[in-house]
Amino acid sequence: MIVRTIAGLALVFLLLQLVRPKLTNPPATADFEAPADVKEILRKACYACHSNETRLSWFDEIVPAYQLVASDVKRGRMVLNFSELGAQPKARRNAVLFEAVSQIQMGAMPLSRYTRLHPEAVVTPGELAALRDYILPVPPARPTAQLDIEAADAQYRQWIAGASTSHPVQAAPNGIAFLPGYKNWRAISSTDRTDTNTLKMILANDVAIRAIAEHKINPWPNGTVFAKVSWMRQPDENGGIRTGKFEQVAFMIKNSEKYASTAGWGWAQWMGAELKPFGIDANFARECVACHLPLRKNDYVFTAPIAAARGPA
Amino acid sequence: MSILYFSVAATLLALAGCSAPNPRVETRLNANAALTGDIPVDPLQWRVITSGVDPRNSTMFTLFGNDAAIQYSRISTARNYPGGAVLALVTWQQQEDSRWYGGKIPAQLKSVELVDVRASDDGRLLNLYRAYEGSPLRETTRLKSQADGRPTYLFSLRAAVMP
Repeated sequence: MIVRTIAGLALVFLLLQLVRPKLTNPPATADFEAPADVKEILRKACYACHSNETRLSWFDEIVPAYQLVASDVKRGRMVLNFSELGAQPKARRNAVLFEAVSQIQMGAMPLSRYTRLHPEAVVTPGELAALRDYILPVPPARPTAQLDIEAADAQYRQWIAGASTSHPVQAAPNGIAFLPGYKNWRAISSTDRTDTNTLKMILANDVAIRAIAEHKINPWPNGTVFAKVSWMRQPDENGGIRTGKFEQVAFMIKNSEKYASTAGWGWAQWMGAELKPFGIDANFARECVACHLPLRKNDYVFTAPIAAARGPA
Repeated sequence: MSILYFSVAATLLALAGCSAPNPRVETRLNANAALTGDIPVDPLQWRVITSGVDPRNSTMFTLFGNDAAIQYSRISTARNYPGGAVLALVTWQQQEDSRWYGGKIPAQLKSVELVDVRASDDGRLLNLYRAYEGSPLRETTRLKSQADGRPTYLFSLRAAVMP
């Protein structure tokens, strides 16, 4: 009986080996260029899934591990492929690197299911420091072009005159309508981003504010809405930085049923004072989810909200 | 059979993983930045006028306004806030955002400054300035010179565009 069971399982196992999604290494068209030490870290920690130079260990070749590996590599290349990154403009390359280092620093990358079997891929604190040193120095408060300051001034005057929002705002490609009331919500945090040269403010509706006061923020209750507003960093005459030109406002709308296919949140973003919806089709939300994924145990929310001192008014 | 069970159990354990929770993604509130202490109003319950950074001191601020101040700041380019307007400038130390490399977020609360615009009997407007410092906040108005132009500075911070 035991022998038969084992033989049966062995046969199933062997047959499974025939089910193999195709995993090839296309030529590296525009490999990312970096100093040798940085390149070595990236090769060791990232290239298995994020390049066209995938090298599998013998145990990766065995189904079902192989299927998991193949799907990770496919997804990995789609999000970031170092073999093609070299073709991107410098600004895009920098943005990608900042995000990559951020994900490594958070412990989200390399995937733990990968490092468990490939411990050599773990990024050590020393290697992380080397990566940070490479993509830093944080651009020391890029001098804002006179043109940007003039654009910010013009935008401000238009907005005060009530002229910037005279037209109806188009819905996002996934059907989410613009929420003009965001500007009257409460602030729960702010961010100073030297990598993108922006200042951001995170505003939250009453449902979210109540959840913060009650310390019930994982998961956030249905009805929670966040608005993340971005402006260019603009130097003032005293060496300080103030909000300059309005760049965009992005929303996260919690509804675990309605938005089940996008991690329980509705995602939408509008660009510029003319509030142009972001994204070509509804698939844009996948990008949002992919970037928020490392925070899945925190209900996909990056920001730790400032604690309420006195509960809701 | 026991060997089979053992190997299945071992495989499941390996897949499930036993890694310690990652402190960077732990759910938490930013308690250091909370407005605690001796302060008569809670500006976090108000609306935002604008925000900014002082890179030399590694601080960041948000300027809040009560309803009268918000209303005015969003329809006028002048800096003559009406009687009844209250502005609150909240300043925090900055810290690196552990969840986003390249980002800085509020850390320890540093100060709250209030400017209360009041109409006197003869119709002139007076700016009542009060300062609170530390975490928890303590009133330090008396230690500050009233003539150092803080009300004028707060008024000079124009509203951030929010279309």
